[in-house]
This record gives sequence, C-alpha cells and structure tokens, in this order.
Amino acid sequence: MFAGIDVGATTTKAVVIDTDKTVLGRFVLRSGIDLTSSAKESLDRAVAQAGIPRDAIQAIVATGFGRKNVPFAHDTKTEISCHGRGCYHYFPEAITVVDIGGQDSKIIKLNTEGRRIGFKMNRKCAAGTGAFLEEIAYKLDIPIGDLNGLAQGANNTAKIGSYCTVFTATEILDRIRSGEVLDDIIRGVFDSVAKRIVEMDTLTGRVIMTGGVVAFNNIVAELLSLRAGIEVEIAPHPQEMGAFGAAIFAEEL
Amino acid sequence: MTAENAVLIPRRSEVASAFKQQGGLVAAVLPIHYPRALLLAFNILPMEVWGPPRVDVSLGSAHLQPYVCSVVRNALSFILGGGLDVADLIMVPHACDSLQGLGSILLDFLPPKQPVIPFYLPRGGSQQGEVFFAEELRFLYQRLEEIAGISPSNETIMKSIQWEEVADELLARLHKQRGRLQFKDHDFYRLIRTREYLPAEDFIDIAQSIFDADYEGQQEGIPIILSGIVPEPMGLLKTISEFGARVVADDLACCGRRLYPAGRSEDPFFRMAERILGGPPDWCRGSPIQDRLDHLHRMIDATDARGVIFYNVKFCEPELFDLPDLRQGLGDLGVPTVSIEVDISDPLSSQATTRIEAFFEMIR
Repeated sequence: MFAGIDVGATTTKAVVIDTDKTVLGRFVLRSGIDLTSSAKESLDRAVAQAGIPRDAIQAIVATGFGRKNVPFAHDTKTEISCHGRGCYHYFPEAITVVDIGGQDSKIIKLNTEGRRIGFKMNRKCAAGTGAFLEEIAYKLDIPIGDLNGLAQGANNTAKIGSYCTVFTATEILDRIRSGEVLDDIIRGVFDSVAKRIVEMDTLTGRVIMTGGVVAFNNIVAELLSLRAGIEVEIAPHPQEMGAFGAAIFAEEL
Repeated sequence: MTAENAVLIPRRSEVASAFKQQGGLVAAVLPIHYPRALLLAFNILPMEVWGPPRVDVSLGSAHLQPYVCSVVRNALSFILGGGLDVADLIMVPHACDSLQGLGSILLDFLPPKQPVIPFYLPRGGSQQGEVFFAEELRFLYQRLEEIAGISPSNETIMKSIQWEEVADELLARLHKQRGRLQFKDHDFYRLIRTREYLPAEDFIDIAQSIFDADYEGQQEGIPIILSGIVPEPMGLLKTISEFGARVVADDLACCGRRLYPAGRSEDPFFRMAERILGGPPDWCRGSPIQDRLDHLHRMIDATDARGVIFYNVKFCEPELFDLPDLRQGLGDLGVPTVSIEVDISDPLSSQATTRIEAFFEMIR
C-alpha cells in the first residue's frame, strides 16, 4: 500500500492506494498551524478507512504548500506534478488540468504521454482561489457551503468589476445596497474566479478541474466552460487529487 | 578544499573606507552601464547601488509612485536614510524611466549633500551612438574634474581602461569556467558581484588566485540560465542548488550583460564608448528583442541549458516589455521557461519556490 499527503494552505488531504492505484482510504481535515500533526492525523484516518495496519504503507510522498513539514514522507513533489499525475491516471491523454485550491490556482498542461509541457500558477494574490470565496462568504455572513446553491439558483450573472478580494467585497456590499439580487451577485463572484483562470492561460485539449473549490462548487466548472467555450469536466475526488497523485508517485518510488 | 572556502570576499563598506583613507573619493553609482575606468582615472571608486535589499523603504516611498521598482525605491530610501553618506558623488545613468525619475528627484526636489550626475546612454549601437556616447563621456570628464580637482591625462585614462579590460577578461573567464570552479551558485555570484565595488586591480588578484588554484571536476545539476536584473533576493540561488540545478550562464543586467569586450580605439573616450556599446544585448541600450533572443539561444547552445528562469524585479517595465516575446521565442525553439517576479526586499515566497521546483520537475 502507498500513501500521498497533500498539505494545503487550507486543508490537508491523505489518500491510500494499492498497487492497482485503487483508492482504499482518504481523509480531509483543516491544516491549522501544526502542519506535521495535520499530515499525521490525515494519514492515520485514511489508513483506518482503508482498514489496513499503518505499517502496511510501504512509501509516502508529500505534496502541497506544507510538503516539507512531513518528516515521515519518503519524498516530496510539488502539487503541480501531483495534480497532473493523478489526473493523467483517470484521463490518459493530452489534458489541461485546472486546480483551484485554498491559496493557489494552477493550470497544468500534459501531453499524450502524461509529460508536463507547461504550467501557470497565481502569484501572491488571493484572486481566483478558495481564500477569495471564503472572504466573500465571510463578508456576506453566508455559510461558504451555501454559495454554490445560491449561484445555481441565479437567473443572471452579475458582472463583478474587480477581482481583488478586498475591493470585490466592498463592491458586493454596494450592489446589495443598490438592490441587486444576491444570487446573481454570488454567481458573478464565481464567474470572476472563472475569468481569472481564463486570463492565466489558454485551455486546450480535454480540460479537467481539481481542487477543493470545484469539489464543493461545481458552478465554477459550468462558468469556466461558458467562458472558455469548451467542455470542462470535474475529476473524480477532486479535492484529494493532489494526494492521489502523490500516492501514485509513492508507488513508483 | 573548495574554491568558495579559498576566497575571502571583502565587504563594500570596508573597501570604501580603505579607498578613502588612501586619498580617493567614492561614487555611488546606480545601474546599469557607466564608465568605470573614467571614474578610477580620477581616483574615484565606483560603488554600485542595486537597491540595496533589506532597507526601510518608507523614506523613498513617500516620493515615488507605487509602481516604481524596488531597485529605485530602495536606492532613494537608502540615500535619504544616510546609507550613502560615505559617497562623494552620486551618479545616475539613464537606464530606464524610473532611474531617470530618480535622477530628477535628486537634482530638483531632494538634493543630497553630494553632487548628483545624470548620465545618458545612446539607444541603439550605431556609429552616431558611439560619437554621442564619447561626447557624453567627455562631458562627464568635465564634471568629474570639478569634483575631484584633478585632470587625468589621456594616458592615465587609457591605463585605467587597460586595467578594466584585464578585469573584464577574467570576469568573462570566470563566467565561462564556472562549472569547473566548484563554487555553488550563491558563492559564485557573491564572488563576481565584487566587480560592483572592487578596484580592477583587487578583482584581478582575486580572480587570478582562483585560476591559479587547482580545482578539478565538473559540477553536476540540471543546467539552467538565469535572466533578469539582479539575483536578489539571493535565496533564489540557494533554492536552485537545493533542487539539484545550477546556473550555467546568465543574462542578468548586473552580471552577464556587462561582459564588455576589449576596445580597439586609441582615443580613450571612444574606447570606453565602444566597450560599453559592444556588450551583450540589453534593452537599456535599445537592443532589439531578436538580438536578445539570439543571445539567449547562443548561451543555451553553448551550455546545453535545459531551461531559462526569468527572475524579474516587479515593475521593471523595460524588462517586462521584452519578457512575453522572449518567452514566446524560446518556447518556439522548445526551450522551457518560467517567470518569477520579486521585490528585492522580500524573501522568496513559497509560491515562487513551488513554481521553481515544479519547473525543475518538468525539465529534469
């Protein structure tokens, strides 16, 4: 058995696979500030879900923002490699992977052999990431889990002028005061995330989305598809795709 | 013993103090190109100011737009905070609009205690450009005469040029043979950047001692080329080593773009002009993008580099104007690139580190 641990800025994910790359167990928890403990706990829970003893894990690869904080990992890989590797397992062809995490958004391009031929990643800005959505939900005093449902029920997409997190929150409050429909505004917020992705790079080939944002907000894939004019698919277990890719790398060690 | 242990690199402040104690003057010189030989002929030591990093920028920020780069912002802050009080004059070459703006601020609004000398480079490498530049150097000579109170002869200037040519030849050899020297990138750049403040004779001694020692072997690691302005924060170089890569050549404004060839003219002013204008292509002399692309391609061919890291200072507009075409051109040739933008005062962010590591995973 092999394990991958993706220590993200917001959540830590662990995945346990067997030699056929079948997922036996997976677990997600908030990363908090003690990244090593979060990594250990997520692995323990994934192992328990898999119903195997801890020492049955032959190799572990850590990835994500906190990958260097996993002292018991046998190797580390960037989340860019891991999301690509995980997706290529399910879609073994030329693909573009769009990963939106808590702090980073990435566009990863793989060729038909699964070799990465390019990637883009956001800079030091929360626009187009999960942190952006969290901040908007907080400012609107709406549970973050409700955002997707509100946007799905919208009749229109409000045009959000700024995608700076701070200025967008102010802009939204202005729109609410002026009587705009909340659902339309929320859909506009998701659309600004899709817009940010389209501006980062061209989307070519088969487009697959991963990450925690799309795992809970499938509206993003829908809006990205509209923006880019191509079909956009959501990967299996999108939130744990980085950890799954890391587990495959562990199996290949 | 490795090379980096064998070389004692003197500190800038110590070099400046020692030079002044021997009766010389010190010039604080902003980037990028200037006639080092002419200053030294006047017994003025040029001490280059690339920022510096890690200064309190609030003093400079009060006088600059938010979109001015950190090299200029830090320099103004450093001047206003007294960091350049050791200097007897400040020279501001017109490399870009922000540096020209800095020159104007110092001349018109915030005059420091030292005289400020702006300095103009011709755009393009035509013969008229060389004539203009030689005239500009003669004008600079007159300003330096007023400040230093001496009038060095053509023979003195020519002797200074010859020292610089020897130093630059050794600098070029260091660049070319870096893989054989067993310096890690961080130490190599600390070494060659002494050219920013050491007199030519002192740099020659250090460089010669490195070549005289018997260093064997060839460094290993993924070969890459670094392009940009200045390798600050220098944490980048340690990151590159940690990830099993090494810089095999550079197109940095403070390093590889200043490998000036020896001159031919018997006129010292023309000789200084032809040297600076004959250097590797650079936007601040108006080099076409195609020339920069060809230059990068030649470096890649000569070194078998597997990719190029563009390490750019945020808001460096001239550099960023060229960047998309350079990346596109290299991409067309199958050369992978990554672009990292930094503020020279900030540590390398985790996002930047991840992007660099992901780049190495891709080209490994």
